[in-house]
Amino acid sequence: MPSGRSLASCLLLLLVLLAPTDSVTAADNDREPIVVQDPQYGEVLFYFYQEDYFPAIVRLLAAKEQQQLMDHVDEAELLLGGMYLSYGHHLEAATIFQQLLADNVDPDIRDRTWFFLAKIWYQRGYLDKSREALSYIAGELPKNLRREALMLEAQILIDAGEYDAAIAKLENWKGKTEWASYAKFNIGVALVRSGRVDEAAKLLEDLGNLNPFNNELMSLRDKANLALGYALLQDGQPAAAKSPLQRVRLEGPFSNKALLGVGWADAEMDNYQRALVPWMELRSRNLLDSAVQESMLAIPYAMAQLDSISQAADHYLNAIEAFYEETNRLDRAIYHIESGQMFDDFLADDPLDSTGWYWRLEELPEGPEGRYLFHLLATHEFQEGLKNYRDLNYLYRNLDDWQQNVEVYANMLETRKEAYAERLPRIEDALARADLDEMVGRKLEFDSTLNNIEEGGDWLALATKSEFEMWGEITGLESTPALAADIPEAEEVRDKIELLKGVLQWELEREFGDRLWRIRRNLRQGGEALVAAQRSRRQIAETMRTEPLYFEELTTRVYGLAPRIELMKLRVGDAMAKQRAFLQSIAVGEMQAQKQRLDVYTVQARFALAAIYDVAATVGEVSE
Amino acid sequence: MTKTLISLMATATLMLSMATVAEDATLMDADAVMAEAKSVEAAESESRDEFRSLDQDVQTLKKEVLDLNRDLFLLEEELLFPANSQVAFFVSMDVGEYFELDSVNIKIDGKEVANYLYTGREADALIRGGVHRVHMANLKTGDHELVAIFTGKGPHVRDYRRGATMRFDKGIGAKYLELEITDRVKKQQPEFVIKEWE
Repeated sequence: MPSGRSLASCLLLLLVLLAPTDSVTAADNDREPIVVQDPQYGEVLFYFYQEDYFPAIVRLLAAKEQQQLMDHVDEAELLLGGMYLSYGHHLEAATIFQQLLADNVDPDIRDRTWFFLAKIWYQRGYLDKSREALSYIAGELPKNLRREALMLEAQILIDAGEYDAAIAKLENWKGKTEWASYAKFNIGVALVRSGRVDEAAKLLEDLGNLNPFNNELMSLRDKANLALGYALLQDGQPAAAKSPLQRVRLEGPFSNKALLGVGWADAEMDNYQRALVPWMELRSRNLLDSAVQESMLAIPYAMAQLDSISQAADHYLNAIEAFYEETNRLDRAIYHIESGQMFDDFLADDPLDSTGWYWRLEELPEGPEGRYLFHLLATHEFQEGLKNYRDLNYLYRNLDDWQQNVEVYANMLETRKEAYAERLPRIEDALARADLDEMVGRKLEFDSTLNNIEEGGDWLALATKSEFEMWGEITGLESTPALAADIPEAEEVRDKIELLKGVLQWELEREFGDRLWRIRRNLRQGGEALVAAQRSRRQIAETMRTEPLYFEELTTRVYGLAPRIELMKLRVGDAMAKQRAFLQSIAVGEMQAQKQRLDVYTVQARFALAAIYDVAATVGEVSE
Repeated sequence: MTKTLISLMATATLMLSMATVAEDATLMDADAVMAEAKSVEAAESESRDEFRSLDQDVQTLKKEVLDLNRDLFLLEEELLFPANSQVAFFVSMDVGEYFELDSVNIKIDGKEVANYLYTGREADALIRGGVHRVHMANLKTGDHELVAIFTGKGPHVRDYRRGATMRFDKGIGAKYLELEITDRVKKQQPEFVIKEWE
């Protein structure tokens, strides 16, 4: 029974697994030893520690059903809840936690559990449940989780449109950690959404000037500067807008938009020559980015303003060509998604054992759509939808495997029934021939005879066949008439006979005790064999009685489970189709939006080109 | 033209997200943009509702398939290994300082019935307290002999191969045997013991 590395609490361990960051690593150490008392519980842990939650849950449910976890009742229930959570079966997990976390559980563990549940629910869009789970946190979470919980709470409020409440939650945030910066940013978001843009600008200015100490903060700083720059541009302050936009790193997710903005700031100040500098830099970048697409129109616009009409016309033509090609690529990608090929590729790439909640798809399978959808991967809905799709596929394949197995079991059962039916008459015949009762009677007779022999000291009764014959011969000689004669020869013979008799009797009397013991032992062994035979017969009789019932019960189960599997497969297949349609609609919607943007840009380019041709024609006519 | 382009940029980049800090973050104060943002929010909310409805279906299915799996698992076990003849062999490790398990070979009554090679993940699960059901068998009632050979890395990362043997009596009802690997601290050696699960 392993007592090795312990489970101080199954749940504490689960929380460690649920949070692969350093947020709960402390939980990994201080555990009390626990001894696995039931092998089935140990087996569940074997799969659980490998993060194979599905087989672990199935084994736990089976062991519970068979009442094999009597020494781990509470732990098993908590473990089950935790595994449901890890497996993404969050509603069932919550039901268990609500029952178990009310009492008997360390408040610290209880609070952490509610926090993780809140986080999962938020990611799955259960905002009400997420809020409710956060409300169950009674004590103080560890510092890092406390910050995350507060952010989560604020985000839920922002999502619910309760901006003032969100601002109130975050505005007292102290410290210079990255969380404080995120808090500021989120207050900015809430302020903008509640229409208080001026206040938001001040916050963003602060954030835009912060000294970042890691990549995330650098990214946040860029984001704030970009937001502020565009806000100032929109507000008609192009000179002021340049400064935050120029603070954005040249290489980063926001650099393209910043370069575009800097160009527009210069253009707004009629400095088209300068505006061309960042825009020409954008031209060499990836056309997928909307800022790069827009720069393809901005460059000829600036050139036209600088009276380079011919160059402007060339650039517009290039832009129209590039947008056309991109639109065609988008059409192919949309077709690829609508054909379902993308999801087949995704499932083909997915290892089936990775069914944990923390699984995330980092990149899409190679395909025409991958380049358009990479940022969808960062959204909860798409990721959670993919998880569901992957889990449904796992369920489908699991049911498929069972369906084949059940067919085999049905055949196996039929074969067994046939074999039983074939053997039964032979066994019944053999049983009829073996009269155990008569054997028991004979054994009892032997016992009685032996008792009489012992009581009477009947040593002759235990003589061997040869001894008995010898005894008969000697006693036969005794009665020979010739020996009755009163002559020395007869007397000598009589003495010899007497001696022989005496010797034989002495031998038999000497052996009597030993022989009696051996016979008793043999009789006892015979008795034991008879008892075993009687037991076997009872077992056979019991088996003959129960086997048909056993067959009947198994047949009912095997043939009852087959349609359940079939029906479940249909339902899972149906759910997969719906989930796929949902993911398709998100992906296609994303690409349609990109396509529409390109269409608008194309119309604008054509319009500008037509205007240039018009001007050129007019100039030509005038010069003629 | 300028305004049109900037407005497009703004619409595309208005939506801000805190948790992921992954989306674009351009703040615009125009009423039109705010109105558009609201319509995007409404679309998001609708999409969230749709996701939630699908997710609830998936949750229900997961529960039902898990329950079905439980029933199938029990059926399989009862069918393949009826309680009367069932013998299960488990491998467990206690501490595991002096032995790194690679494989276990099992012979019953002189016949090899299992040869299991452990992955790193499985060996780690054993060290952490998991118990592996390495083999299930149907045996007649009576006396049987079990021989288990453990191979792996012993102290000082040397190749290590040890056997353990046991005679056991199979009565009526299921029997569980545990092949346990423990550390004998005094000798700084692993110890291999077979025992009946108490």
